[in-house]
Amino acid sequence: MTVIRPADRYLDQPYWQHLAKGTLHLNCCNDCGGAHHPPSPICPTCRSFNTGWKPASGKATLASYAIARHSVHPSLGDKVPYIITLVDLEEGVRLVSGIPEGMEVDLHVGMALECKVVQFDDRFALPYFVPVGA
Amino acid sequence: MKTSIIGLGQTEFSKNSGRSELRLAMEAILAALADAGLEVNDIDGLVRYTWDNTSEAAVVNALGLPSLKYYGETEFGGVNCCGAVAQASAAIEAGLASCVVFYRALNARSGVRLGRGERILTEQNGHWVSNEGEPPGDIYSAPFGLLVPGQHHALYAMAYKERYGLTSDQFTDMLGGVAVTQRTYANNNPRALLQDKTLTLDDYRAGRIITEPLRVYDYCLETDGAMAMVIVSRERARAMNAKAVDVLAAGQYIFPGSVPMYLYAKRAWSLAPEEAGEVLFGKAGLSPKDIDVAQIYDATSMMVPIALEDFGFIGRGEAHDFLTSGGNGPTGALPVNTHGGLLSEGYFHGLNTIAEAVRQLRGESPNQVAAETAFITLRGASSMILGRA
Ligand SMILES: [Zn+2]
Repeated sequence: MTVIRPADRYLDQPYWQHLAKGTLHLNCCNDCGGAHHPPSPICPTCRSFNTGWKPASGKATLASYAIARHSVHPSLGDKVPYIITLVDLEEGVRLVSGIPEGMEVDLHVGMALECKVVQFDDRFALPYFVPVGA
Repeated sequence: MKTSIIGLGQTEFSKNSGRSELRLAMEAILAALADAGLEVNDIDGLVRYTWDNTSEAAVVNALGLPSLKYYGETEFGGVNCCGAVAQASAAIEAGLASCVVFYRALNARSGVRLGRGERILTEQNGHWVSNEGEPPGDIYSAPFGLLVPGQHHALYAMAYKERYGLTSDQFTDMLGGVAVTQRTYANNNPRALLQDKTLTLDDYRAGRIITEPLRVYDYCLETDGAMAMVIVSRERARAMNAKAVDVLAAGQYIFPGSVPMYLYAKRAWSLAPEEAGEVLFGKAGLSPKDIDVAQIYDATSMMVPIALEDFGFIGRGEAHDFLTSGGNGPTGALPVNTHGGLLSEGYFHGLNTIAEAVRQLRGESPNQVAAETAFITLRGASSMILGRA
């Protein structure tokens, strides 16, 4: 299965390395404990540079979703329709995510989701969020 | 602010201009100066978007401008349409320049198309990859197939639809109320790309879904062309006896997650913080009920209901009733996008949104309403109030 991915040089960053090993980690602050996304050299809450990584609980709620029916890129021609989601993680961060290809789901804003990391090769995986128990 | 917009210039809007962006920019700038009654050598300041391909230096060299004392850039594209005017005004009030031209030239239809993913993806080792890592780029969203503004807006739209519990039919009728009303305005507007194409609510409902819940008629028109406007001090505008429209308030607003779009602020159903309207109206000494006409940057139709609520023209969740009862129409409580908007006049990164407000206040709109004041916004990120001089 082909999928759009970050350029190769980004895959050596901790966010992608953790995903490639099968878990979603969030950039977090070692001083106040807050998580943030996308990764950043400074904590947006207490402005500390002392940041690190911690595993996400994987629990989230659906903030919004959209169903792409028209392909906006040649590589997506055989993928439409596909679902794009906006998810709020328990840790207080928001991620753009999606539903894995081929999975049938019934979505509504506010529903509980859980993280499902899908591996594409040994360096690249993505954090999808699916209805709890799906 | 103590400035005025005294000149508007543009090329035709088209699907294929057949000429370079530099050439288009020159045509628009000369037309704006002629409209203002000024000479090329009067220009001593320029403002533009960072996304514009025609640099200040290119303009100086092409026009042989003797002395450019100030140039400013605002980040991105249309997000800063009012921010660019704020910046020009601030430069004039600070004495950095006396005559500033804000210009935009783009072959957005025949050249690189913003509505397609080619802009952000390249091929690497047989994969399509996103290269935008820092500052927080779209490497975190592109892999999920979220590539273009039209998809970002679909996420805003669904968040709104579900927050207010609108059925699919109610939601369709709400946005249909934007698209159909604006097309009717465009049918009277000789500048509009879609002047000759009518659109009924039934046509709208039958439109193909692009990214659910948005359909084809909810999207703006990628357009070729150029526009420019001339900004001077209010004092100079009065002394020249110019066709002036006064800038009563203008400002920019970024808050966490609001820009770029793929980051998403906390409330995806709202695009401006609560205080954005208060700040803007406070600067002008006006309130929403004092506004006679609104021009709302409508890259998609969804921007209209959200802006009407964010800036207090209507209450939260009232957009369906307002837009399905003609509130935005020519005899409605607040006529909106009376040129046809980006949906039906053309997508000109907000300069045509501003230009229509100027025309309304000059009495030159193809859909003229009685207007002393006009409101303009793009997602709250940049907003402005103009007044008849
Ligand atoms: Zn912290």
